[in-house]
Amino acid sequence: MLLFRSEEHVERWLAGRTAGATISVGTLCDLAQAWWGDRLDPDWQPHTRDQNQAILDRLGLTGEFWTLP
Amino acid sequence: MDAADVALRNATYRHFVELGRAPTADEMAAALGRPAEDVEAGWRRLHDAHALVLAPDAAEILMANPFAARPTPFRVEAAGRSWYGNCAWDAFGVGAALHADCTVDTTCPDCGEAVRVSVRDGRPDRDDLVFHVLVPAARWWADIGYT
Repeated sequence: MLLFRSEEHVERWLAGRTAGATISVGTLCDLAQAWWGDRLDPDWQPHTRDQNQAILDRLGLTGEFWTLP
Repeated sequence: MDAADVALRNATYRHFVELGRAPTADEMAAALGRPAEDVEAGWRRLHDAHALVLAPDAAEILMANPFAARPTPFRVEAAGRSWYGNCAWDAFGVGAALHADCTVDTTCPDCGEAVRVSVRDGRPDRDDLVFHVLVPAARWWADIGYT
């Protein structure tokens, strides 16, 4: 889970390997906020698998690649 | 994860942030008035539940996601301290968890050039960067260190 200067840098780094998924840094910020924003809440409770999947879905991160086990 | 383990997890995270580093089992035992063996056993259950990550064969925290217990290539300045994320996602998660603006420093894995991005009020100060996830979500926890 790495940060690149651009999609061209991702392609070069992959060097022919199968790509995973690439998203903008703006979407990454939204994802981080939704996924980690409650981690220090005093009454934190574990996210369920469906709660986490809903976070991905809300951000348009859908399809087989983004499907949690 | 039962209520006692959730309470241990929450206390561990609270101490991580207060100390600016991962607490030891002895420190948590002293803070909670419990034997260190109880803390270690609870941490192992939390590790198995993916609520934190322990070092192999040791009751030592490696990851209290999004926080990394050891230096990584993802350094974060937030809330007046330096932190480390376990990956780029976690690095942005440090600011999110602390509810603080943050600055992430890493390097482009392709060219090695330093990359700095600041997040203010939840928005990055540049939009040219991209985040790549190599491993599908179904396998993130198969090898969380690699993921």
